Amino acid sequence: MQSIPRRTFIGAAAAFAVFPAFGPEAWAQAKNRLVVGMSLEPPVLDPNKNAAAAIREITYQNIFESLARIDRTGAIVSGLAESWTISPDGLVYTFKLRPGVKFHDGEALDASVVKFAIDRLFAADSTVPAKSLYTDIASVEAVDPATVKITLKTPNSYLLYNIALCDAAIQHPKSAPTNDKHPVGTGAFQFKERKEGDSITLVKAPTFRDAGSIKLETVIFKVVKDPSAQVSALLAGDVDTFPGFQAPELVERLKKDARFAVVVGTTEGEVILATNNGKKPFNDLKVRQAMAHAINRAELIDAESGFGTPIGSHFAPHNKAYVDLTGTYPFDVAKGKALLAEAGYPNGFEASLKLPPVGYAQRAGEVLASQLGKIGIKVAITQLQWPQWLSEVFKERNYDLTIVAHTEANDIDRYARDGYYWNYDSPEFKAKWREVVAATDFAKRDELLKDCQRIIARDAVNGYLYQLAKIGVWKKELVGMWENSPTPATDLTGVSWK
Amino acid sequence: MLDFLSRRFAAALVTLALATVVVFAVVEVLPGDPALVMLGTEARPDTLAALRAQYGFDQPLPVRYLHWIGGLLSFDLGNSHAYGTPVAKLIGDRLAVTLPLGALALSWAVLVAVPLGVLAAWKHGTAGDWGVMGFTQIGISVPNFWFGIVLVLLFAVTWQVFPSGGFPGWRQDPRGSVVALVLPALALSLSEIAILTRVTRSAMLDTLREDYVRTARAKGAPERVVLFRHALRNALIPVTTVAGLIAGFLIAGAVIIESVFRLPGVGQLVYDSINNRDLVVIKNVVVLFTILVLAVNLLVDVAYVLLDPRPRVAA
Repeated sequence: MQSIPRRTFIGAAAAFAVFPAFGPEAWAQAKNRLVVGMSLEPPVLDPNKNAAAAIREITYQNIFESLARIDRTGAIVSGLAESWTISPDGLVYTFKLRPGVKFHDGEALDASVVKFAIDRLFAADSTVPAKSLYTDIASVEAVDPATVKITLKTPNSYLLYNIALCDAAIQHPKSAPTNDKHPVGTGAFQFKERKEGDSITLVKAPTFRDAGSIKLETVIFKVVKDPSAQVSALLAGDVDTFPGFQAPELVERLKKDARFAVVVGTTEGEVILATNNGKKPFNDLKVRQAMAHAINRAELIDAESGFGTPIGSHFAPHNKAYVDLTGTYPFDVAKGKALLAEAGYPNGFEASLKLPPVGYAQRAGEVLASQLGKIGIKVAITQLQWPQWLSEVFKERNYDLTIVAHTEANDIDRYARDGYYWNYDSPEFKAKWREVVAATDFAKRDELLKDCQRIIARDAVNGYLYQLAKIGVWKKELVGMWENSPTPATDLTGVSWK
Repeated sequence: MLDFLSRRFAAALVTLALATVVVFAVVEVLPGDPALVMLGTEARPDTLAALRAQYGFDQPLPVRYLHWIGGLLSFDLGNSHAYGTPVAKLIGDRLAVTLPLGALALSWAVLVAVPLGVLAAWKHGTAGDWGVMGFTQIGISVPNFWFGIVLVLLFAVTWQVFPSGGFPGWRQDPRGSVVALVLPALALSLSEIAILTRVTRSAMLDTLREDYVRTARAKGAPERVVLFRHALRNALIPVTTVAGLIAGFLIAGAVIIESVFRLPGVGQLVYDSINNRDLVVIKNVVVLFTILVLAVNLLVDVAYVLLDPRPRVAA
């Protein structure tokens, strides 16, 4: 904007400007108030009622806490339970609760509250979105007011991780029914008000056990969906940060502004060219290998303005069990064509690519269509709305190809599921995954996870494209924001102004 | 006159009844499962079925239609599935943004367009006329969301005299709320100003050629009286028709402008509800839009009668 002579604009504006000029609003930024921009609006505010990531991005750690906690590095650390022990057979988890924990309405936390909160995750009549994560639990027992015992039906090496998720937030029986509109938790911030379509305001909770460590008094989550409106909200000073900025093509503009820090970190989102393995011709390994050879990841990442890390399997590169498999089927158009001919398609074939309405899929869609075109696959792109994508592609499995980011951590388990939308059915992978879940030794589990990555990379189940980057933008004086996104969260407990 | 208006009113009611059937049918055939949208990709079949039963999605279509109409007639619109709040409150809060925005844009459009159109007709064929016509050409061609973004860059980012968007709420900050609507109304009104100016100009050109205008001039009436009392009064009939049509477009056009300026208006509510498959909200909002457009049309009819006695006689 600065490069264009200002006079031109004043002249143009004067033609329309007959209205009175208003003075600048009092933007004066108190040093304990933070305005956080969000791309998506949460429908309700209770993670047990809706699967939307935006609910978790607002409430995790700020309003709701779980027994364990996922920290900024992705490690599982103590949460509402200060410690726990696991029985040698991996079936019994005993949690010792933190003393002095109070809910925002003054109710105290004890073992009976925890039992209530965990019981409803797997109860027969439960409609909790993440119910499937907790169905291995056999029972929850309040041993004494400060001790909770969770017994499993079968060992599950991901139980602690699942218990640390926002989905397993500890809610009080008294406030649970109204948490969708007025969430009451044990976290450092309490809900103040919501203006649907505009903002959600939290204030520091006086009931928080460690209130002295919390520097922010007021936090406003503002919904700004339009990418160019996000940039103007930042430039105009109406929003202090977008922890998850969604428009990579506009990042250069923000980098030029000395007021902002642009921090690129990792997410758990693997962007894949999901492929219907149950449908001809994609049920042929040679066809899927040919497609893998046609994919040029560097070009796809260019379309994301350079943000993203190439992946060769369904696993996050920053995970310590990661193994680099990008070389399994290197970019090689001639090889791709040859494999396609071997599979009986010397002249290629036609395929549909159904895209969900998200920026990365839109950007990658055109590029992939042209890459697959080079080996003879004529791709027709169809645009879908999210609800359509969920029903048509995900549930009914009525598709050839789609592009989507799988954003949950540890989601390689999807390859072991029957009836998942890829229609991949591998007894070898399923056996390997059973070993992973049953593993009580984490070093051994990491080795097994590497085998899992190799199996699906070799089978070219899906096209493995790149790991989504987390682009965080915030004012330079703001410290303590999460660089990476190990779980959907905007943990503000350690955030302050310099 | 009453006979004329009551026939118009009856016609509006029939239109509304037909509209509810069409709206219901269209909303019900929207692809996508609301329960799946709420519970996401990890949902189990049993939880999905339980949620569908809870919201009555498993009932037969005629039962659901009658249930909805029954609710409408008793002013009970039900609860939004996505937000969990009553639909009536949700819509009421949003109308408090969209209606003032539309009213501001429309009055701005009328106040600017009518004098401009009269000027262009009066100075027909001169540089002033060409200037006004050039401006309307630009006004029609420029998309209003782009104009909105330019306004934000100028007034919010560069000069910082207006907020870049958002809406503080009438109760919390009345003055700030008016300020928040100024730029969006301006962006929304640009193309409407252009259209109305053109309509006013051509209507004025027509009436200025009428015999009675020549007579008025011949009897020595001042030009001001000729223009505004004799010519404009007749020219206002087509202008009113178009202004009424524009009011409908303003409500529809607000969807994009509300997105550019982050205004929590009805347009954004419809957009979000379609993405959330919040069927109960979509149905009721669309019917409300229908009522609004019908009401504006009725008002236009009333205005006709006031401006021109002929429909009264014809009726």
